Amino acid sequence: MNKKILITLRFVLILVTVLVITYSKKGLSFPEPGYTIALFYFVTNLILYFLPEKFFSKPIITFLIFLFDIITISLVVYMVQGFETDFYIVYFLVIFAASVSQGIIGSIPIAAVASIIYAWLMYRSNPEISFFSSQILLRIPLLFTMTLICSYWSAATRHELKKKEDLERFSHKLEREIGVIAAAEIELRRYHEKILNSVPSGVIATRKDGIITTLNPEAERVLCLGKDEVIGHNIKDIPGLDAFWKKMEQAINSGITVKRDEVLVKNKENKTTPIGISISPITDIKDKFSGCVAIFKDLSEIRRLEEKLKQAEKLSYLGKMASWVAHEIRNPLTAIDGFAQLLNNKAKQEKIGLYSSEIRKGTERINYIIDDILCFARTKRKVTHVEINLRELIQSIIKGIVHIKITISGDKSSIIKGEIESIRRVFVNLINNSAEAMGEDGRLKINFSSNKKMILTEIIDNGKGIPKENLKNLVTAFFTTKQRGTGLGLSIVQKIIDEHNGKIEIESEEGVGTTCRVYLPKEREEEKNDE
Amino acid sequence: MMSEKKGEKKKKRILVCDDEESIRLLLSEALEEWYDIDLAADGREALKKATNESFDLIIIDIKMPGVHGLEAIERIRQRDIKTPIIICSAYRLMQDDIVVKTSDVDAFITKPIDIKEFKEKIFELIGV
Repeated sequence: MNKKILITLRFVLILVTVLVITYSKKGLSFPEPGYTIALFYFVTNLILYFLPEKFFSKPIITFLIFLFDIITISLVVYMVQGFETDFYIVYFLVIFAASVSQGIIGSIPIAAVASIIYAWLMYRSNPEISFFSSQILLRIPLLFTMTLICSYWSAATRHELKKKEDLERFSHKLEREIGVIAAAEIELRRYHEKILNSVPSGVIATRKDGIITTLNPEAERVLCLGKDEVIGHNIKDIPGLDAFWKKMEQAINSGITVKRDEVLVKNKENKTTPIGISISPITDIKDKFSGCVAIFKDLSEIRRLEEKLKQAEKLSYLGKMASWVAHEIRNPLTAIDGFAQLLNNKAKQEKIGLYSSEIRKGTERINYIIDDILCFARTKRKVTHVEINLRELIQSIIKGIVHIKITISGDKSSIIKGEIESIRRVFVNLINNSAEAMGEDGRLKINFSSNKKMILTEIIDNGKGIPKENLKNLVTAFFTTKQRGTGLGLSIVQKIIDEHNGKIEIESEEGVGTTCRVYLPKEREEEKNDE
Repeated sequence: MMSEKKGEKKKKRILVCDDEESIRLLLSEALEEWYDIDLAADGREALKKATNESFDLIIIDIKMPGVHGLEAIERIRQRDIKTPIIICSAYRLMQDDIVVKTSDVDAFITKPIDIKEFKEKIFELIGV
């Protein structure tokens, strides 16, 4: 900046003035010291022009340059004997230049030097000159006044310029920063979009009034909707999404996140898709609910796999069941077939009655097994409830068990309402299980107690107990740890007890024994399931 | 069930072990003409009888309450009783994942049985 001002002022003011003064005094005559100095001026200014900006930042350099200018001009004036002209104007110009480029501190010394040289020149031209003459008394203070005014003016201008410059610089910086922020915002937006696009779940966001604001590609895929056809539209106007919006509205109105819910949506082709959905309300800066965002997944594939698994489980059940049926039926079949063979081979008259009765027993047994299977497989049936004395029932069951000691205690009268064959099946199963779990010193305790509504039958054995890891599988059909077990017994027990609105609890400790508690209601509840 | 017909030489003894009464009855009816039949209702009883008495053959079922057939066979063999054993079961060896030590057992007959074939098998094993 300094360099530019300095060089311009020197060119425009000083060089031109030197040329003008010389020309007015001497005309175009060569060689002429005035023109020589002008040429010298031109050359030095050219040299200054090529010097680096840094060179001009030191005030002493500029001071020396202006000092040099004052001396040079004075020299010209002296050489061309131009004392009578208005050459002092040149001093004004130099001081003006110094003030503009140097400010008051740099220009005062220049003004002082100029004043001394001017006074000396005046004295040379006229040794009798009075100190009070207008040339001295007016012009020298004028030089200083001018210095002050110029300095003030230039300082003010500089200040203004600097302010403008700062402002410009600031505005440039601001522009640059805005550019950076805008780029970052675009990048951030792109990043968010990428995240949204790569989420493997559907994402949809709406305003409070249902206007859709966001929809990611997975959401487009699951809902069979194009982004362009729904963004900015109201979700309420999109057919098939009613259930969807209902859940979203619920989240917005309550402000509570809906977690792992399920809805059915219908797409354009009228295909219904099960969707697992979680919805969070969105709040605005005032913390008021302004909309919501839903994240969802298409559950069709999961449902399909579940169905497949169910099918596989069914088949596996069927396989186990078939194997169980085969084994259970072969025993009575053996008896039937065997006695039939005996009847055929050596049918002694007195044996015919025995053999045919055994054959009948076999068919009865097969019938019982079929009942068992049906009982296990049935979903709903009509049962005839009668009064059952549990104590008597259990006494009749334990008659056939000889290898362990059985004691019965508690309430004498334990009467419930139920289906006798089913209830018998429950206790036959449970007592047999206990009996099988016990060794030679097996002791089975059966105790009856009751409250207002229920009869509790406890079957306590001191058998080998059930390992902890098997307890949870107890009522799983066909699950058995026994080499000979069918695994159907406890499933049927559970089923029958459920049908009678009762409850069964099994507690067991390995090596100590097992306790089964069967709760059965005294009176039959009004059955809703009865046909 | 032990019966000894007058004048005839002593019959060979068979222990029939099955939890199903009708099967026990069937086997004794089918075999009593040639053999002395003793009965057991479960593995424990069979083990007791096999230990205390001497038999020429043991016919045993697998699936029984308490001590089942395979366990009883193992224990009989542990006690160094070398009586031939026939398993007579409704299980199928491969189908039902039944593992039997072939060195312990002389035959595996599946239910239902052909009485004629069954008898022939016994004749083959121990004679009359």
